[in-house]
Amino acid sequence: MTEPDLRIEIEDLVVNYGDVRAVDRVSLSVKRGELVTLLGPSGCGKTTTLRAVAGLEDPSGGMIRVNGRTVYSAAERRNMPAEKRGVSMVFQSYAIWPHMTVFDNVAYGLKVRKVGRAEIVENVHRVLDLVQMRQYADRPASKLSGGQQQRVAVARAIAFSPEVLLFDEPLSNLDAKLRVTMRVELRELQKRLGITALYVTHDQEEALAISDRVIVMNGGRIEQIDTPEEIYRHPGSLFVAEFVGNANVIEGQAETTPGRDGSLGFRTASGQMLRVAPGRNASGTAVALQAAYIDLFPPGRSDAPNAIAGTIHRRMFHGDFIQYLVDWPCGQLLVRRPPNDLFAEGSAVVVSFAPEYCVLL
Amino acid sequence: MVVPAVMLTVGLMVAYPVFFLITEALNVGEAGVFPPEALGFGNFIDMIEDTKVLWNTAFVAGISTLMAVAIGLVLAWILTRTAIPWRGQLERLMELPYYMTPLVGALAWGVLASPKTGFINQAWRFAGGAGDLVDIYSPWGIAWVMALFEGTVAFVMIAAAMKSMDPSLEESARVMGAGKLRTALTITFPMILPGILSATIFVFAEMLSAFAAAFVLGIPGRFVVVTTAIWQATSAYPPEYGRAAAMGLCLFVVLAVAIGLARLILRKGSHATITGKAFRPRPMRLGRRGWYLAAVCWIYLFLAVILPLGALLLTSFQRFATVIFADMQFTLQNYVVAFRIGAIGSALTNSLMLGVIVATIGSLLVGVLVWIIYRSRVPGRALVEYVVMFPQAVPRLVFGLGLLWAWLVIPIPIYGTLWLLGIAYLTVLLPLGLRTLAGVVVQIDRSLEECARVCGASWLYQMRTVTMPLLRPGIVAAWLLIFISSVRELGASIFLMSATSKVIAPAIVNSWLTSSTELSAAMALLQTVCVFFAVVFLFRITRRFSGDPA
Repeated sequence: MTEPDLRIEIEDLVVNYGDVRAVDRVSLSVKRGELVTLLGPSGCGKTTTLRAVAGLEDPSGGMIRVNGRTVYSAAERRNMPAEKRGVSMVFQSYAIWPHMTVFDNVAYGLKVRKVGRAEIVENVHRVLDLVQMRQYADRPASKLSGGQQQRVAVARAIAFSPEVLLFDEPLSNLDAKLRVTMRVELRELQKRLGITALYVTHDQEEALAISDRVIVMNGGRIEQIDTPEEIYRHPGSLFVAEFVGNANVIEGQAETTPGRDGSLGFRTASGQMLRVAPGRNASGTAVALQAAYIDLFPPGRSDAPNAIAGTIHRRMFHGDFIQYLVDWPCGQLLVRRPPNDLFAEGSAVVVSFAPEYCVLL
Repeated sequence: MVVPAVMLTVGLMVAYPVFFLITEALNVGEAGVFPPEALGFGNFIDMIEDTKVLWNTAFVAGISTLMAVAIGLVLAWILTRTAIPWRGQLERLMELPYYMTPLVGALAWGVLASPKTGFINQAWRFAGGAGDLVDIYSPWGIAWVMALFEGTVAFVMIAAAMKSMDPSLEESARVMGAGKLRTALTITFPMILPGILSATIFVFAEMLSAFAAAFVLGIPGRFVVVTTAIWQATSAYPPEYGRAAAMGLCLFVVLAVAIGLARLILRKGSHATITGKAFRPRPMRLGRRGWYLAAVCWIYLFLAVILPLGALLLTSFQRFATVIFADMQFTLQNYVVAFRIGAIGSALTNSLMLGVIVATIGSLLVGVLVWIIYRSRVPGRALVEYVVMFPQAVPRLVFGLGLLWAWLVIPIPIYGTLWLLGIAYLTVLLPLGLRTLAGVVVQIDRSLEECARVCGASWLYQMRTVTMPLLRPGIVAAWLLIFISSVRELGASIFLMSATSKVIAPAIVNSWLTSSTELSAAMALLQTVCVFFAVVFLFRITRRFSGDPA
């Protein structure tokens, strides 16, 4: 029943905090070399799930397997202590030990494993090179900046070549610019070393950018597991649509029979007829449409799909894109266009979007 | 397993004396007989009828509280809100009066300002004045000394309230158009009022239970407050244990209510500004006027530390204490006597030995307790904390009283030995150690330990390589604080000391009352020197630790 390529398997995991069910029957798996992100708002159970894998929480039910070994099983009454699980973790606070040097911090996992002195030095230098911190090896760890501590935390986590790496919001304490840089470096490192990783974040942009697959969590349960593109383009629920990206949610009623191209008819609450894509488990009373998938044309264009007349209400220039608020028959529509696509406030436009990007919820 | 054992031990050490205190207070039969032959409220009625003591207590405590809070308020404002030269160092030095202890302070001010022989009055007459300029053996004198040494406690509490206020609250009032005065009256003052109020109540409670100054300066003039009345009742012949216990019990209840009230005010009235985050408001630039404000701080330190220590030093090296240069006869005799008289020399040795043993056992115990309370998931750990912290609410004197009977009655021959003193010190000083170490533990991010486990370290290895090294400065600080406090302990010791188990603080008091001032000064200085070395170590360690952004 265990696929050889699965590094983390979680089945029906339950974690209770007193009377509160923090994690509610969560099941997921992570393949070798894959980076899977747990994404959700604070209190959704993502960090608790991660900590349960590390052995830092006492779950109440379910099963966790790391690298084919059962590390937790409610049925078998097994709960392996953290140090025996062969996982490693990068903490949100970095957890850099202030009373040690950078070298000693990174060497810790190797010393615990009673690796020989020469091998320790070689390994520590290798990973410090990977994070470009070699020249700081003898620095006391308390004298590092936030970004440097972050790098040391990553170096320490990979130094003893763990089978699985866990990341608990590793970039959330960095300033915006550095966060984007470190995001690229982390992904680069993970790909290069083929690290299997479970990664927790509340930043949807980070989750989409860094992951092979994204798991959206809400209220202790999993809402959707998909590739970043699928999560963004085809949100499986109202929650995912509102949490990921900048989706417009339009209420109405879907028709039941699909058209020739597979699209469905959807009558909005205000009476507009739209062509939309069928969703999974959709109730058919709303559609989600990401702001970036909407085109704006000058008035008169009628050959485009779902072409509906509207007026630019507000324009906000963001640099990388322009955000419009467009008045249209169904209320207001959030639209993001490239910065060269300029319409004046108050001007009439035609709104258009492909049916495949307008997903029935 | 561990928790019930700890609970039982600590519970016995705490609950047992308190139980005896209550039974004795209700005992209207023969004093000291257990179980009591007759129960009643006679002792309490006696106490209430002695209105003079109650009035004296209220007067001294009231006056000294007002003075202490005034000192604390002025110092706190200067040191948190203005840019005076050497601000950081001055703030640190403000702790010194606390380590000086009211006992040494009272002795020193006795030397300085007693009628006729006091240095100030000597100088006054030498300069041609008539009679006495000041009389420290008066209610005002007692209040002055108590205020001087409790002022630093008021300072710490009020400064904390001032630092916890977000300066942007004031800044936004200024931006809205309010002037400096209006901002101070409508924003600053209402914000820090709960802090000042709770500091006032807390200081008042401390003053009610203060013993040393009232004892050293009140007994010669037959001015009795409740704490000295308790001591007198126990040392009278026949001893009036019942009345002492009734007074002690009432003092404990009043104190518990007052401290509860102070905490309530701080919590309810704080407008949710106290986030635990310390702000450094932009200090006022004062230019030349800064030097005047700095001078105010230095004057306080002069009156509370430099002048008293100087007076003691001068006295201890003289045959007859005087400030008139022509009359001075210098001698080392007082120190020779202090060391040679068996009782006194051994008192110092005993105190130091007890200090080392109690501090060592105490800091280890505190280490275990802190781990149970803040790190383990053992059920009942909150109760452990409550029980350990309980002695803090009982005045030392009252606790000593309870211990006195508790161990007098029990057939284990522990009364009158250093063992009893050791047990008493450990019980009353554990809260201090626990608070010190808890302050360090809560700063240590839990993930530092978790990370070690995830890296593959066993619990023991993690404790050895991560937890213990991080806790070490806290444990050393707890050790030093317990050591300092036990070397200078007076309230409990004065009941538990016997001819064969003398300790330094009560020995100094006895010497002051029965033999020469000069000898007492020498002994007080010896005690102060021991405490001083420990304080220097403490300052160095805490500075190194706080300089470390862990």
